[in-house]
Amino acid sequence: MRNSEFPLLRTNLFTALLSVTMSFEMAEDDRTEQQDREWIRGMALKDADALDAFYTRYNRLAFSLVLRIVGNREDAEDVLTDVFWQVWQQASRYDASRGKPVAWLMTIARTRAIDRLRSTGRHEVPTSDPDKHNGPPAAPAQPDPFVQTDTRKAVHEALQSLQEQQRIPLEMAYFQGMSHTEIAAALGQPLGTVKDRIRTGIMHLRKRLRPYL
Amino acid sequence: MNMRHTELTDDLQERASLYAAGAMTDSERLEYVRHLDEDQCSVCQAEVKELQSAMSMLAFSVPSSSPSATVKVRLMQQARQAVPVSQPRPAGFRWLQWTTAIIALTSVAVALSLMRTNTELRRETDALKSRIARLEVQLGEQQTIIATLTRAGVRVVDLAGQGTNTQASGRIFWDQSRKQWLFSVRNLPPAPADKSYQLWFVPKKGSPISARVFNTEADGSITVEVPVPDNVTDLNAAAVTTEPFGGQPQPTGPFALLGAM
Repeated sequence: MRNSEFPLLRTNLFTALLSVTMSFEMAEDDRTEQQDREWIRGMALKDADALDAFYTRYNRLAFSLVLRIVGNREDAEDVLTDVFWQVWQQASRYDASRGKPVAWLMTIARTRAIDRLRSTGRHEVPTSDPDKHNGPPAAPAQPDPFVQTDTRKAVHEALQSLQEQQRIPLEMAYFQGMSHTEIAAALGQPLGTVKDRIRTGIMHLRKRLRPYL
Repeated sequence: MNMRHTELTDDLQERASLYAAGAMTDSERLEYVRHLDEDQCSVCQAEVKELQSAMSMLAFSVPSSSPSATVKVRLMQQARQAVPVSQPRPAGFRWLQWTTAIIALTSVAVALSLMRTNTELRRETDALKSRIARLEVQLGEQQTIIATLTRAGVRVVDLAGQGTNTQASGRIFWDQSRKQWLFSVRNLPPAPADKSYQLWFVPKKGSPISARVFNTEADGSITVEVPVPDNVTDLNAAAVTTEPFGGQPQPTGPFALLGAM
């Protein structure tokens, strides 16, 4: 074997290992989703053990999102209780054709958190400085044993790859519950521009994160 | 917007994006939700599904924090109190119920099987008892025959078939000390339903005396014991005639068997 063939061989080996690793991760994701669906079915039948298991897997993820939106732990814990109570009450309405259980949960969590944000009248003042869109001072990051590190990394990289002018309106909408008209007014940009940036931004996210959807 | 779309346009994609990002105004959102739910627009539903999933991934971008343990305690207490008594029981209970049901079904199956086996055994026992009884009777008859045949002073009289019964034959073992005949017939077809065979003592003087009314088995044979009356001493012959069913005081029918003493 010539020395010039080594780089090609390393590249092929790396590609094969990456492919195998991703296959395992995808299989793990499928198992997780299947288990989530079973727990939701259990909750629909009022099996409290299913709620216990579902809460154990996702309480940190949901709480982190809620805390990011409402800004203080006390409100966040109240909202978190409401979120999982809504999941418990509406489990029979979960429609698998509308998305993964985790996406359903995050949608509920965001909606309840935005409702709380609006009801308390607190609203972050949007600016174009992305560092000021991080909500409350973040507690020291604690690893979530139920969230795969590579998922966090992929989301972080996807956001970093967004143009700032796309990322900011997306985060203002998602984390602060601001409508496109409010964002346009806050940023002093034309409404059409804001709408287009939200659309192109979310398209970019979908493209980058498709393996995890 | 009150229709189902057939293809995804830039405008529809923008609406789906604004909805998924949570950037619609309240009125826009209400109208769009109505479109998704009531119009059942599969084009928009599919787009929203993917875009909402993509947006929900933003939750993974937030530094991880943990709620206090009291949240779970409060939630689970609330949930368990809300579970009606008739709702599914704990897993251990269900396991116990299933186990009990399986044991009960198995017991019923075993009991039914035992009952069936028991019935079959009882039937076989009855059949064996019946067979033993028949064998005992046959054995008694054989012992009587053997005793008669082997006893000293037994006289043997052969009877020959008569008329249409030339293939038939009979034999009398006359035990004079016991005043008893052992009468055996072979190859004499059973008499018709309205007829009977009748055995006669035919004395040298006087009229025949009825000895016995009988019929043969399907194979044309029979062996019977016939007591010999005291007044029957000097016989000329023994005869079998075919008579009306039940026999007659005196012979009226044709001879079936006849043997001289």
